[in-house]
Amino acid sequence: MMMAGPAGAQDWFKTGTGLGVSKARVAVPDFGARTSAAEPLEKTFHDVLWADLDYSGILDLVSPSFYPTKLPTQPSELNAADWSAAPASAYMVAYGNLSTDSTGLAAAGFLSEVQSPAAPIALQKIYRGAATEADARRLAHQFADDIISRLSGGLPGIAQTQIAYVSTKGGNKEIWVMDYDGANQHQLTHLKSIALTPRWSPDGTRIAFTCYVPARGVVSAQICIYSTASDRLIAFPRYRGTNSSPAWSPDGSQIAFMSSQGGDPEIYVSDADGRQLHKVTFAAGVNTSPAWNPKTGKQIIFVSDRAGDPVLYLANSDGSNVEKVDVEDKGYVVDPAWSPNGQLLAFSWRRPSGNFDIYIMDIVSRQIAELTRDAGRNERPSWAPDGRHLVFESTRGGTRQIWTALADGSMPKQLTFEGQNESPNWSPR
Amino acid sequence: MASHAAIRNELSIKTSLYYSLLFHGGLVTLLIISSFYSHRGDLWGGPGGAIQVGLVGSVPGVPLPRPEVETTNRVVDESKGLYKSEPAPKVQPPSDATPIPKFERNKPPKYVTRPSKVLENPAKPPENAVPYGGGGTPTVPYTSFSMGAGTQGGLGFSGTSGGDFGSRYSWYVVAVQRRISMNWLQTTVDPSIQFAPRVVATFDILRNGTVTNAQIMQSSGNASVDRSATRAILDSNPLQALPNDYSGSKVSVEFWFDFKR
Repeated sequence: MMMAGPAGAQDWFKTGTGLGVSKARVAVPDFGARTSAAEPLEKTFHDVLWADLDYSGILDLVSPSFYPTKLPTQPSELNAADWSAAPASAYMVAYGNLSTDSTGLAAAGFLSEVQSPAAPIALQKIYRGAATEADARRLAHQFADDIISRLSGGLPGIAQTQIAYVSTKGGNKEIWVMDYDGANQHQLTHLKSIALTPRWSPDGTRIAFTCYVPARGVVSAQICIYSTASDRLIAFPRYRGTNSSPAWSPDGSQIAFMSSQGGDPEIYVSDADGRQLHKVTFAAGVNTSPAWNPKTGKQIIFVSDRAGDPVLYLANSDGSNVEKVDVEDKGYVVDPAWSPNGQLLAFSWRRPSGNFDIYIMDIVSRQIAELTRDAGRNERPSWAPDGRHLVFESTRGGTRQIWTALADGSMPKQLTFEGQNESPNWSPR
Repeated sequence: MASHAAIRNELSIKTSLYYSLLFHGGLVTLLIISSFYSHRGDLWGGPGGAIQVGLVGSVPGVPLPRPEVETTNRVVDESKGLYKSEPAPKVQPPSDATPIPKFERNKPPKYVTRPSKVLENPAKPPENAVPYGGGGTPTVPYTSFSMGAGTQGGLGFSGTSGGDFGSRYSWYVVAVQRRISMNWLQTTVDPSIQFAPRVVATFDILRNGTVTNAQIMQSSGNASVDRSATRAILDSNPLQALPNDYSGSKVSVEFWFDFKR
């Protein structure tokens, strides 16, 4: 059919869409432990790998009870027919082995397609690290990201991302950071006051947040920036009045934030080091919670109560062309978060009936979908860099905790359990 | 004495009957009143009785796989039958028109028409004839694509360098298909369009996954459908880098879109 391809083309393939796509069915048997020291790490490695792949939202994992009795640990041991046949009916198998030596832990990971036996191995890599639980987790995250990137067509996974949030676990409200699956929670700031609204810079090296640091005996809300690379606060100017809710431009060169230095709370934009400050909103009332369009950097969404209740407004990043984003009935619409592909907005909305739930909106068509319902207060969504996951705070378990879910609202998962935890922000890749 | 006792007994039965009647009458009244006062709360979902629920599955833009849609088999009729399926007898619609009275003076034709001979096929169906529709699942592709092996279900390929990309790297083909399918937003199509003929687009994937030369090969005849297909391809740029052990410098793709609301 396609013999008459353009000259110079190496290979052709034809495919199409129109009826939706099914998820790829992947089997993940236990990894083989080659040395006795690797045995305890194997369970960690396999559990983390399974959880990562299961939570990716694009794969369908084959239940282990369907697996053949002989599990492969390297390509020569893989019997493709056993895996492709019912009941496993797998499309691909992810397998491998773990071994330890004097240099540390080595995880050999393989991904083979079992439906067409002639196909070469899709992925074979050796991941190296120290022989510790933490590194076994890290290697499993790396292997999971490699698999997800290949099976989703180039959209990398989020298994190695982190979430910054505000926690009272240490007594004060401080910025904490954890892995995307809730592991490895650790405190970042020790300001012994109040820290709020953390936001990762697009390169992941800095976190801007609202801090209450006294200066000359006066405590006021200011913008603070914490460098995760050098583990300390870096300089940002102080301004009069209340300054809060910073947001990074997608190239990381500018910061938008709310400031009442001119009397009325308005949105200001400055360079990342605080220079070139200028005002972009000029309306009576509170203007706050800016978020840049991460795809283009040319638009800002923010919350304003200029017309009564707080609702969302869309403007160009220089403040021109302000447009109200209408929602069908009244209520508070706050905490806008822009999806990485620039097409969707997530926000929390308190409708007149009283619920506080997460909604997402297609910006072009203004179509709205509700993601949470009848499960406590759900607020402050933030998108994962793959656009498939959301993190938010919820009181559904009784206390205010951090939850994640797929961006269609399915598979909610609680990440934090101790203290009060709020205002999560997902790191870039 | 005995008769006196009987009379007193009769009297006592009468009073208890009276009280019983009064008690049951009271019970019935209570029942009516209670049925009147029950179900007096608010209806579920507010005054209209309807709960507005946003349909999450219809939200475009989230790069999650859309659920697969079952299609009816257009090639084979799977109903069980004998060697051939018999055509359904024609049902004559009842005619309520009054017949036109015949013109009596017409003479009947002189010749008589004879029924023509029907040639019966004397050959019996062979012993191993498969009953019509009873042959099991056909192996031909009848949906737009399938997730199976690369050589089936609409994934065709041919290479000028003798390559067999589709069968060697079917995981890559499926991944490309999934990515573009997730980025194909039906809201970018004119809402008045319910169905559009197939759009065929072609593009090249370079070694690092960059998409180039995206163009429409066969238009659907509708500009907004064509544009949404092109957007789906360009939004997926860059794709996954080509497999490491693949020797060529680029792969050309023909991708079709079947639009149906």
